[in-house]
Amino acid sequence: MRLIQTLIVVLISVMMRLDSRMFGRLNFERPLLTCTICGLLLGNLQVGLQVGATMELATLGMMSIGASGIDMNMGSLVGCAICIMTGADIETALTVAVPMTLLATVLDTFASIIRINFTHMCDDAVDKGDFAKAKRVDIVYGPALYVLFTIIPVFLSVYFGADFVQSIASTVPTWVTSGVSLGANIIAFFGFAMLLSTMVNKNTVVYFFAGFLLAAYSGLGLTAIALIGIVLAIILYTVKYVGVSNRVAAETGASSLDDLEDLDN
Amino acid sequence: MSQKGLEAQRNTPLNKKLKEIFWGAWCMQTNWNYERQMNTAYMYAMSHTIDRLYPEQEEIEKKKEAYRRHLEFFNITPQCAALTLGISAAMEEEYAADPEHFDPSVINAVKVALMGPLSGIGDSLFQGTIRIIAMSIGISLAQQGSILGPILAALISIFTSAPITWYLGKLGYTKGQDFVKQMSESNLMEKVMFVCSIAGLFVIGGMSASLSNLTTPVTFGEAFVLQDVLDGILPKAIPLAMTWLMYYIVKSGKVKPMTVIICCFIAGIILNYFGILAA
Repeated sequence: MRLIQTLIVVLISVMMRLDSRMFGRLNFERPLLTCTICGLLLGNLQVGLQVGATMELATLGMMSIGASGIDMNMGSLVGCAICIMTGADIETALTVAVPMTLLATVLDTFASIIRINFTHMCDDAVDKGDFAKAKRVDIVYGPALYVLFTIIPVFLSVYFGADFVQSIASTVPTWVTSGVSLGANIIAFFGFAMLLSTMVNKNTVVYFFAGFLLAAYSGLGLTAIALIGIVLAIILYTVKYVGVSNRVAAETGASSLDDLEDLDN
Repeated sequence: MSQKGLEAQRNTPLNKKLKEIFWGAWCMQTNWNYERQMNTAYMYAMSHTIDRLYPEQEEIEKKKEAYRRHLEFFNITPQCAALTLGISAAMEEEYAADPEHFDPSVINAVKVALMGPLSGIGDSLFQGTIRIIAMSIGISLAQQGSILGPILAALISIFTSAPITWYLGKLGYTKGQDFVKQMSESNLMEKVMFVCSIAGLFVIGGMSASLSNLTTPVTFGEAFVLQDVLDGILPKAIPLAMTWLMYYIVKSGKVKPMTVIICCFIAGIILNYFGILAA
């Protein structure tokens, strides 16, 4: 039973890893989706959704652009799986995710050295005229290495970690678990700030406050906020760009009338 | 002269070429490395076109040259890679048709010129706006226990990413080099950034007010409940303060992300223990 469950999680981790490698990052690597699928397949959808929402929230702002940023995706999936398999609190997922993230960072350093070698293998293959090999290195070896460096830690930590977590989960006092949960909420703000720092400047900070105040005073849900934000952006776009070109056309007078006649024809 | 290759390339149906560009773009990070980042993936994506253009054994040197050209440093948002891949494919075709008058170094010059601005736009659009909107809607529904949340998040992600990648590839390949000129003349990048930053920031503002809630259980006697006082002035004042506190930590650039994360957990345990903050 444990083995089958672990293998299911391993399969989900393959999807998680390949999402950003071969599917242009469709967000199937994100905790909200991996944990939900994990919950669905391991037979506890509600825990999957709760852990997914909690971990997604904590890591929402953490953009993975190139090499920078932190990848908490693997930690979230493993944490979620262990939660479901042991019946531990949702906070347990968080405490599992952080050390897993550290481990993932260390492992990826090793993998990145191998990937530089892959690049040189590609160069050599092209020099020798072995184009099929050059292509194979990129489209087979590359993803295979990524998958390998994902499934091994995922398998080991889920298969052996569950027992370990189960043995200590009951001994951890509640002030620690609720403190960890508070910590995760604080981390979410670090994520918001990281997003903010890439997009905000003196001219645009007002849109942040517009969204904040609307949500804070009205209590509207985020779906509503998102839709209003999109509409607002389109309105301002129209005012700034479309409005200007119409005005320019109007000022040129006669020519705009010509345009209208053209339209009639 | 490679008439045979050129004919093969021109006779290949447009949709087939666009499919190659589409998947090439999505596979941009198959071998991401610190030395030249997305170089091998770019080579792979271009290989279909190059293989068709230089089929003969005596053209092998030209073929190697083309492969090497696309093994140079490259980095971009994967979806936006479709645009440069399209332009590169069109330019490779042009070069093969007229190798005397076409300087092949222009092919890479165009790639390099586009990669910075396109990544800026692509990351703001896909990671900063679409992902944030999809995930924040998803989280708020998932928190209520509805599987509709993750489903919506997935659908929004797929049905923005796929058509945009396809369209960018088509634009790049059919317009080729001219597109670069048109793009700078029409301020296209500036316009996309304008829309993205408004919608994105608006949602980030909404997120910091509603997704994660921080309150304070501090009271003095029966009458003074700090949270009530704060709510009377500005609801969600603590989340707002926390967002900007974190903003200055990020901006200072002095603290590593992993350190911040660990400190957040420690702070969470301490603040919770002394009853200063609650989630």
